[in-house]
Amino acid sequence: MTEPTPLLGRVVATEKRPNTAHEFHFWTSIDSPIGIGTIVRVDAQTPVGGVLPRVYGVVVEGFSYTDLVSPIHDVLGHDGSPEGAAFAPTQRAEIRLYTAHVLRQIPEEPLQPVPMGTVALAADEDVAIALRMDTYLRPESRTAIPVGVYRAGAMEAPIYLDADFLLGPEAAHLNITGVSGLATKTSAVEWLLSSIFAHFPEQKGSVAAVCFNVKGPDLLFLDQPGKLEDADRLIYEKLGVPAAPFERVQYFAPYTAKGFTLNTLRSNHELSENLTPLTWGLNEVMQFAEVLLNKDDIDAKADAFIDFLQERVIGREFHEAPLSTPHRVRSFGELETFFRDLLRGMEERGGEQWRTHHVATIRKVRNRLSNISTRCAGLVTDDGTVSDLPFGSFADRTVYVVDVASVEEDAQDLIFARVVSKLREHLERRDLGVSHVVVFVDELNKYAPGDGPETYVRKMLLDISERGRYLGLVLFSAQQFRSQVHRRVVGNAGTGLYGRMDMDELATPGYAVLSAATKTKLAILEKGQLMVRHPHFAQPIFVRFPRPAVMRGRDGAERFPQAEEISLEVAVMRSLRTLDPSISLDWVKRVTAGHEEDTVIRARNITMQTRPDRVQAFFESQFRRAAVAEAPPRPAVVPIKALPGDDPYGF
Amino acid sequence: MVSAADTRFHVIQRRLAEVLPGAPAFGGSGSLELLSPFVQEKPRLDPAELLEGKKLKARAVPGDPAATFTAFLDGTQTSRVVQFIAGVSLVHGTVAAVVRERRDRRMQTWRQPLVSRGLYVPRTLLPPDAQAALADVGIEVFDTAANRDLDSIHPLAIQDAALQAVQRHRSALERELAESFIADAEGPLFVDGGISESPSVATSPNAIGVVKSHQQLYVHGDDLPVVLALRHGERSSVTIVKPRTRNPVASWYLRLRDSGGRDPLWGLVRVEMAVPGGSAAETTRRADEVSRWVLAEALPVALPDGRWDKMVYGIRDCEEFLRAIQ
Repeated sequence: MTEPTPLLGRVVATEKRPNTAHEFHFWTSIDSPIGIGTIVRVDAQTPVGGVLPRVYGVVVEGFSYTDLVSPIHDVLGHDGSPEGAAFAPTQRAEIRLYTAHVLRQIPEEPLQPVPMGTVALAADEDVAIALRMDTYLRPESRTAIPVGVYRAGAMEAPIYLDADFLLGPEAAHLNITGVSGLATKTSAVEWLLSSIFAHFPEQKGSVAAVCFNVKGPDLLFLDQPGKLEDADRLIYEKLGVPAAPFERVQYFAPYTAKGFTLNTLRSNHELSENLTPLTWGLNEVMQFAEVLLNKDDIDAKADAFIDFLQERVIGREFHEAPLSTPHRVRSFGELETFFRDLLRGMEERGGEQWRTHHVATIRKVRNRLSNISTRCAGLVTDDGTVSDLPFGSFADRTVYVVDVASVEEDAQDLIFARVVSKLREHLERRDLGVSHVVVFVDELNKYAPGDGPETYVRKMLLDISERGRYLGLVLFSAQQFRSQVHRRVVGNAGTGLYGRMDMDELATPGYAVLSAATKTKLAILEKGQLMVRHPHFAQPIFVRFPRPAVMRGRDGAERFPQAEEISLEVAVMRSLRTLDPSISLDWVKRVTAGHEEDTVIRARNITMQTRPDRVQAFFESQFRRAAVAEAPPRPAVVPIKALPGDDPYGF
Repeated sequence: MVSAADTRFHVIQRRLAEVLPGAPAFGGSGSLELLSPFVQEKPRLDPAELLEGKKLKARAVPGDPAATFTAFLDGTQTSRVVQFIAGVSLVHGTVAAVVRERRDRRMQTWRQPLVSRGLYVPRTLLPPDAQAALADVGIEVFDTAANRDLDSIHPLAIQDAALQAVQRHRSALERELAESFIADAEGPLFVDGGISESPSVATSPNAIGVVKSHQQLYVHGDDLPVVLALRHGERSSVTIVKPRTRNPVASWYLRLRDSGGRDPLWGLVRVEMAVPGGSAAETTRRADEVSRWVLAEALPVALPDGRWDKMVYGIRDCEEFLRAIQ
């Protein structure tokens, strides 16, 4: 039973400003707690079909005026002196007139213009009904994910999203937009992930998150406790979300170009336990070569040759004239050897074509592919060492953070494309380890711009946006300017969050549906406040959310300063100690003495990838093999035949 | 279905059509207060006895204006011809009165406003069946032929008689509210118009009447230039006004606004209060004090009302309130 709530206003309609089925007006006393975004309840006075209609609305515009017809009258009344107003014994009659958009009408049929009636603040249960949250708050079929609290006056009501519409299958994806520098976007996503992990219903399956850290230390301390105020804790308590950092977080980062320290701001030794290298070899990269090779690189001929390499050469025994020896290409190093042998053979035979591929095409593909390991140094290894996300064994309620903030743009694109594609592949096969994955991508302006060339990453984001919900692959995306993101990406986001917005952005057509007052509120929105659009909500709603219970990136960077540059031996020791804590620096120095850096790194990588029981023995054995492998002198470089004068590629 | 208690114009118009089906269709007139040659007294001078000094003169009100009124009283009336029966106009009249109390510089309604509606007709001029049918209309019927108001069967004279009856009813409501306020509330009451009609109001120190119309000027012809030449913040000497059928009150003229460039009655009001019982000095002190109260009400101006030069904002608020609830 709804408790009587104090009346705050009355619905009013005039011929010039009538009420409709979707909009109504009401006035209040001038000291009422109504504001833009307030949810109100209208109780009609005349039954329709035996039922007294009840209407819920959200305030979108407010007006204030007095009984003055013209401002000049006030000027005249005070002899042009503003001080005069203070002496007036009576204040002019003044009105607070509000316009509200209808959230819901009960009964919903017949849908009529909003009737005259009394207006009251919506109580908790009213808010649930108004936003149609009652349908997914029922205990037997609860799929509610708290997104924040709605505040009006002294009232504070929890606001929930529907998991079926946030993580699929009904709708999915979330997009958040807002100006940079307020940490609202990142904080909101961190908070929402905590909420999802706490409330995602068991019967709906399992859920994990993959977050791409694209700038600074934003997402690098999700496993460390952050500073919370009492007000934040109250919200956590009210919404039933533990005010604690994420219990299970795994970090992944590629190596630096040197190859022996990880390229991340989370390099402090204290935090190394859940930090894993991210390195890929030829097999992993070839599938996504398109990411790194633009249209100018890949014409039809080059594309055909790359396909041939993938299908016939890479990863299998291949021997055919004019190759001097059988090749099994498993790494960029072996691919380079293959190319060198092939071109040498062609030179010797004086032929310009091999298997219909012109030598210029072969040279071009060699050049572009060989360049990948240079452009993506630290991520792509020449020796084929692979250290990857645990595709196939993803764990429920776990966050996997891939730190790409410090890597080159090409490498970022490659990481992004491959990780998401692998997630998709595994989800399609239902063998990822979890049934739902939230992929968080910031800076969507960069990855899926509304204009500019078609890129592999953008195509992939579009694909997730349009088809991911059936797979459980959910995109949480963020950007500063929603208007500059591809329309199909943001358009497919079932849920939209808006932090403080730039007025220029709000002036773009995408925000035309918002009232001037709502736009103004968005332009001055406090930190910790969001406007939420959700399929169940007929109108956007303003909510507050608590600070995330994780350490802010800036604080983490101060608390856990980045490790200083370390020697190769120390880097190797630290890596191997994660497998065998008894390993000492002296032992590493002794084993690696006299060997090239590349050899040491390769031995370290293979050991880390293999994770043998006897770590020390395995590591040492890599040097014995290396010694054997390095023994034969390299074949003399055969001069390559001069290029035809009309070579369009100029190398 | 029309509620029996609903006596608004259009409701009565429909009821009349039901009970008098043979009556010709009539859409209703405009407001008689605006359209008809409204009954007004002829402009005249009515010299009053001086209470302050031996000769009427202009006196600057000493001290600063002081907002002291706690409430404002005003009434409104609206009269419209709702139907013609055998050439006789049936006038629908609405009268209302309200006291608006000032709290923290904001106006609020004191108790319930009084609203009354009636049908004003000269019964004897109507055919017998129409007279009988009026009992079923569901509104109080006032016979304007039963008193001296009806001097002629001229259609305009019938309307004048109705207007006078409506005016009397409005005055009665105003008097009722004023007497209630004087009896039950505290603080000075600003009454729009004179206060001499009710004995209790006319003698109450808390009732101050402010008259905006000057059809009748209570001043000797020799003294008229003094009154008309009053400057902003000046008042005339206090006189005692003794209407024949009403109660004596102390009265003086007060210039609320500088009339420079306008007619001499612009911004001029006549103030009424209970006759002071003390010395002449006490009369002066009291008149100055009340003048300061009235002058304080010059702000905010009552624009956009056309009478804003004489009307104070509290009275405009009463009128707006009554307009809103009718």
